[in-house]
Amino acid sequence: MSLAQALFIGLLQGATELFPVSSLGHAVLIPSLLHWSFRQSDPSFVPFLVLLHLGTATALLILYRDQWVVIIRGFFTAAIRGQMKTDSERLAMLLLVGTIPAAVLGVFLESRIKSLFASPYEAAGFLVANGVLMLAFELLRRRAERQAALSGESRGEQEAHFATAERISFRAAALVGACQALAFLPGISRSGVTIGGGLLAGLRHQEAARFSFLLATPVILGAGVLEVPQLFSSGVPVAEYLAAAVLSGVAAYASARFLLRYFRSGRLDPYGWYCIAAGLAALALLHFSL
Amino acid sequence: MKSSSLAVGLGVLGVIFIIIAVLYAIGVLQILTSTTSGPHYKHAVLFAVLAVASFVAANFARPKTA
Repeated sequence: MSLAQALFIGLLQGATELFPVSSLGHAVLIPSLLHWSFRQSDPSFVPFLVLLHLGTATALLILYRDQWVVIIRGFFTAAIRGQMKTDSERLAMLLLVGTIPAAVLGVFLESRIKSLFASPYEAAGFLVANGVLMLAFELLRRRAERQAALSGESRGEQEAHFATAERISFRAAALVGACQALAFLPGISRSGVTIGGGLLAGLRHQEAARFSFLLATPVILGAGVLEVPQLFSSGVPVAEYLAAAVLSGVAAYASARFLLRYFRSGRLDPYGWYCIAAGLAALALLHFSL
Repeated sequence: MKSSSLAVGLGVLGVIFIIIAVLYAIGVLQILTSTTSGPHYKHAVLFAVLAVASFVAANFARPKTA
């Protein structure tokens, strides 16, 4: 992999990790469509992805640094006391409950699922499915808005009727966490399914995005840190990979800031339509070998 | 839901998870792993996290004295 390719994939991964458009799907599809010669099964590709994910996780940690301090403090306080008294303590426990299903499924299933569905055709198909899912989540949200008779109100007023992340139920947090396992399928977006799951649980769009990003941090960081020893295997161009990881982190930070602002009143629909269009276009390009 | 027996059960579960974590870490346990030899640190960390979660849940389930 050349430096330019490494930087491009770093930028792509950082930007698409948090947008509900599947970073894995893009990482499988785009090199294939550009006829790049490096093999993603190459042993040096895993450390590369590890560093990119550490870049993304670092960006999320920086973005939510104040909240993480409060959440970690809240976790220990509530765990020792055996009782939740504040919102931050409840959020800490919700994140623990949401992280466990993703971690269990990730450790036992991730490599098996990824090896089954690693072809560009499948990634393109799942990207279309991801788009349909995003539209379905918004359809269900609009139905909830109609049932609550919010049709005449502005988007900001509509959103205010829904809950903050701290108010989600523990069962919903576990379900949203388990939804992350769907993202082992290349083309299905982790942030997309968790934001969608949050919407179904009655969260505001911005809060669903915040909960999704907070939920992602321990999983991405944990997976990345555990793979760090692979970085020291021989023949890995660490300097090039580090540059790509920094770029990935910068892109992830900018994406998260943009999305949190966007979801004050925005919906998932544009990303759903993008995924359907991109998936269909990729299928056509792959079919005609363009 | 507060109950002494539930708290004890969760505590025991936590201890079992710690034992499983240690067995994965030293490479004795090879169930549901991608390779059949050597330590499996991902699995070990997972079971350590599950142990922590069990102990936290046990503390939540323990009836509190006023």
